[in-house]
Order: sequence, then C-alpha cells, then structure tokens
Amino acid sequence: MSDNTYIPKLAEIIDINEEVGGARAVKTFKTVFLNGDRFSFLPGQCAMLSVFGKGESMISISSSPLVEDYLQFSIMKMGRVTSALHEMETGAVIGVRGPYGNNFPMDEWKGKNLIFISGGIGIAPVWCVFQTALGNRGDYGDITFVYGARTSADLVYREEMEKLAKELPVHLSIDVEEPGWAEFVGFVPQNVTDKKPSPKDAIAVTCGPPIMIKFVIEALKELGFEDEQIYTTVENKMKCGIGKCGRCNIGGHYVCNDGPVYSWAELKKLPQEY
Amino acid sequence: MEKTLKKDAFAEWLKKLPSYDVYVPVEDDGRFNYEIVGNAGAIDESFTNAVVGPKKVVFPQREVLLRFNSTNEKAPEVEEVLPEEKPAVVFGVRPCDARAVTLTDKVFGGDFADPYYWRRRNNTTLIGLVCTEPPSANCFCTSVGGSPAGKDGLDVVLTSLGDRYYVETLTTRGEKVVSDGGKVFGEPAADDKKAAEKVGTEAAAKVERQVEGVNDLTENLRDMFDSPFWDEESLSCIRCGICTYLCPTCHCFDINDEVLVPVPLTGERVRTWDNCQFPDFTMHSSGHNPRPNRASRLRQRILHKFRYFVENFGDYQCTGCGRCIIYCPVGIDIVDVLDKTAAYER
Repeated sequence: MSDNTYIPKLAEIIDINEEVGGARAVKTFKTVFLNGDRFSFLPGQCAMLSVFGKGESMISISSSPLVEDYLQFSIMKMGRVTSALHEMETGAVIGVRGPYGNNFPMDEWKGKNLIFISGGIGIAPVWCVFQTALGNRGDYGDITFVYGARTSADLVYREEMEKLAKELPVHLSIDVEEPGWAEFVGFVPQNVTDKKPSPKDAIAVTCGPPIMIKFVIEALKELGFEDEQIYTTVENKMKCGIGKCGRCNIGGHYVCNDGPVYSWAELKKLPQEY
Repeated sequence: MEKTLKKDAFAEWLKKLPSYDVYVPVEDDGRFNYEIVGNAGAIDESFTNAVVGPKKVVFPQREVLLRFNSTNEKAPEVEEVLPEEKPAVVFGVRPCDARAVTLTDKVFGGDFADPYYWRRRNNTTLIGLVCTEPPSANCFCTSVGGSPAGKDGLDVVLTSLGDRYYVETLTTRGEKVVSDGGKVFGEPAADDKKAAEKVGTEAAAKVERQVEGVNDLTENLRDMFDSPFWDEESLSCIRCGICTYLCPTCHCFDINDEVLVPVPLTGERVRTWDNCQFPDFTMHSSGHNPRPNRASRLRQRILHKFRYFVENFGDYQCTGCGRCIIYCPVGIDIVDVLDKTAAYER
C-alpha cells in the first residue's frame, strides 16, 4: 500500500439515508473500505472524500470510532463534489483519504457533564463525539443535546433524536413557528439561554453556522462557562488536508492540521478569519 | 572543493551531463526563463534573473498526482503518478531563489512529507550564480537574511571572474555534477577565492532597497490584523495574482480532477499553483468567504510571509527577489508596504 497520503482508499457506499430534502438537502452515507483497507481515527477528525472526475471535499466523520463496520458522513448538497455524492446510489465507490486534523480531547472530559449544541448540518462533526460519549456512557456525567434548524424539515438525525429524547434531555428548536411544533421556537443560542445548562463540571461542544457559534459562545459565557469549557470545530475550504495548499489557515494555524477542533480559549487568540 | 571554469568551456561541461535535464536561463523577448537546453547552452552575460525561478523545477505549475480509470470494473482503478526519477540540473540560480527552495522544503516536509515534491527535489541540483550586480533595482535580499553571494540551498556556486567562473562545490549532489565535468575545470589561482568574495561583497553594497525596521516586523504585524491599513494598501489590487505566482517561496496549490474520457470514466487528478489573491481561493461552497475582499487577501500575503511563517518555521517567507514589485501591474510594492507597517499608528 502506498504511503502517499494523496492517494485515496476506495470505499463502497453501503447505505444512504435521505435526512433533509429540498434546496439544502442532506444525506447520510455509510461507507466500507474495499481492498481490506482500514482507517483509524479519533472523534473530530475529518476525511477527504473523492468523487472521481469531480474532485475532493473535506467532510467530518459522523460515526464514532467505536463503530468498526463503517464510516458515516452526513453531507449537505452544496458544491460540485457534494452534489455528485447526492446523485450516487448504494454500491457506488468513492475515495477516502485521511483521517486529518486533531480531535476532541474526550479523555480529559471523563467524569464531566457534556452539553452538545449544534445547528443545521453543524451536527455532523458533533454527532461523532456524542455517539462516542454514549458508547462510553459510564465515563461521563449528564449528557444533554441542544439542536436546531431553520424548519422541522431541516433537522438532521431527527428520528435518532426523538428516540434519544426518551433517555436524555434533547432540546430541539426551529427558527420560526410551524403548526404542530411543540418544542422551542427561535435560534439555537436562544434555546441555550432558555434551557440554562449548568457550567458546573461541564463541557460544551458546539458546531453550526459561524454566526450561530458566535452567539452560542456568548450565551454560554452568560451562563458562566469559562473559555476552556467550550469546544467547537471549524471548517474552511481545503484541498490538501495536510497543511500545504495554503487556504484553510486562521492566522498561522492550518485548520486541516492544527484544527479543526479548538477550545474557545484557543480559538479566541486567533484572528477572526473563518 | 574549489575549481575554475573557463566560460567558453561551459558548453563542454553541459555535454558531460547527458543523463540530466539541463536547465539554463534562456532569453526570449527581453526576459529570461530556465529552459531545458540539452548541451547547447551558456549563461548569457546579460542574464539578470528569470521571470519564474527554479521553483518550477521542483514544484511545477501543473502536475498529475494520480490517474483514475473505470474501464470494466465497478470500482475505479487508482494509479499513483509520481514524477520520473530523472535528475535535473539548473544553472544560473540566483541566491535568493535557491534560498527560497529551502523555504518550500520546510512546507513540503514535516509530518506529511509531499512525495511529488521530494521526488523532484532530491533529483535536482542547483548551480548558483553569484550576483555581480543586483539583478534589479527592486532587489532587497539583504533585508531579509540573504545576500547576493548567499549559499543556502545551492549545490554549486559559480562566481564570475571575467572570462571564467570560480566554482565552489557545496554538496554531494554538486560534487557529482562537477566530477562529471572532469577535465573541463581548472585549478583556482591563489587569489581567486578573495576575488570571488569581493564580487559578492561589492554586489551587496549595491542592493539599494532596504526594509526599515525589519527586525521588528513580525512584532509590528502582530497588532495589525484589524487595521484599516490593509484597505488603504490594497485599493489598487486587480487580483491578478502575479505577485504570488512569481514568488519563489509561494507554494499554495489547488487540486482538481480533469476528465479525459467521460464514459467509462478516465481522468487525472491534477495539482496546479493557486493563489491567495484570488477571491475563490478561500470561498466555501456555501458562498461564505473568510477572506472576502482585497484587503484581507493582501493582509494574508503579508502576514503569511512575515508573521505566520516565522511562527511556524522560524524564517521570513520572502527572500527579497523583488519579483512581486517588478511585475505588479498596479505598483503594489512589498518593501513600501512593510516600511509603512513600521510607521503605522496602531
């Protein structure tokens, strides 16, 4: 096997779940490597997916490393590569290289309460951490999920969320009122303020649109969270995944390599350029 | 190892290097570029510097990374396409450009060493040519740690002494190219070494442009991220990107798939130089752009070279070759910009 990181491993799509339809369509893909290839990763790391003939796109791995049978990616149809992925059917073969980037320091969080806060497709990287925490349930205290989208039809992993709501606090929200919606109406940061998660022995993990992350952090700070208790994961355009192609940097940090995971204590020291 | 070489024996030397791609600066329409010349070359006495430095030999503007081919099979075949193991030797490399290669070495090295770059790099011998005069009025190598007689990154250094070169061999790769030359070389005279040193010292004194307060630059730039300075300085930029394409230290690239046959799908994944001065360099597919205007892109160019690269690799990512000043169509001048940062009210 080549140790050339630019050469993707081939993987077959074994399952596709249509999460969200319409203009901001989201599908969840499960893939298995062909040719006996393997890939070990940590929560928060990303993979560069190839659709041959279209190109590559850096995508968060949504499944937990505890799941060994497949890798899972939840992908919004957006550009050339993700649109091509959305056209693919089960049995199609894509390329996967990586994993790239750093990871959430989940070992340091043992014994703490975990609060996951995400918006829209920002749930994709958070889902991996969340599933890993559930898989090692005894290692952590209370687990809470705050999740929102523009409309109820834009919620990713909705079925899973509704099942989980029976076991742990799941606080869903949509941006504007809809008939039959019994949960919170408003933006995700407002839902955070409304639910008042306690900062005591807690870690908050947030991902969503940049503007949501900004206000979630403000809401958490109001509730008494310290910068070191807040983690997020950053996205930027990437081509190489290994800190060389030059475009994903925030200051001197290459998000592909030095990120994508940052505590707010770390991220606030960098220029606001993401 | 020191030798001398009569300039009229230069072509003889090239004849002794049949296994190499031999690059020599070639003049075309008043500008020089490194071209493969076989054994029919000499370094033109009017050579200043090439428009594109030897960066193009170790990191070509376009290169194929892999091929994919879906003939007959459900799964495509992916074939790694590494550069050929062919040695290359570049003659007439200016010290600024050789030093620039040591900087791209840092980027393409590290934990994820780039196999394409290193295949070429390890096969490339750089034969330097000490500047007898600064090649341009916009040279500023001495401000950023270089010199007209600098040796960083070179395998052999030639210094012009009238009708001959003083030849210093610095590395094993260089020794190979010199020993292949065999009897074309002569032994230096007693005072050749001194004469050669004098050439470099005199040239250094003629480098007119200096960056003021260059030692404080990284510190000065630390507080300037949000400054309106970048708006003021970038107003005339037309986003052509020549500053970074021609920069010998700039390494940013794009990767794209090129389809050769649509069905059954056959094509290549290609790496090309890319450019931080282009709006879509950083634009997300959502349309969000972290560097959405000329100001943020000029800021990136300057801060990358004089702050981020220093933080990551301990050196300025600039060797003072002056190309970005010479070729900028609207007169954005990196030395002026840096000088102004020193004086800018924060």
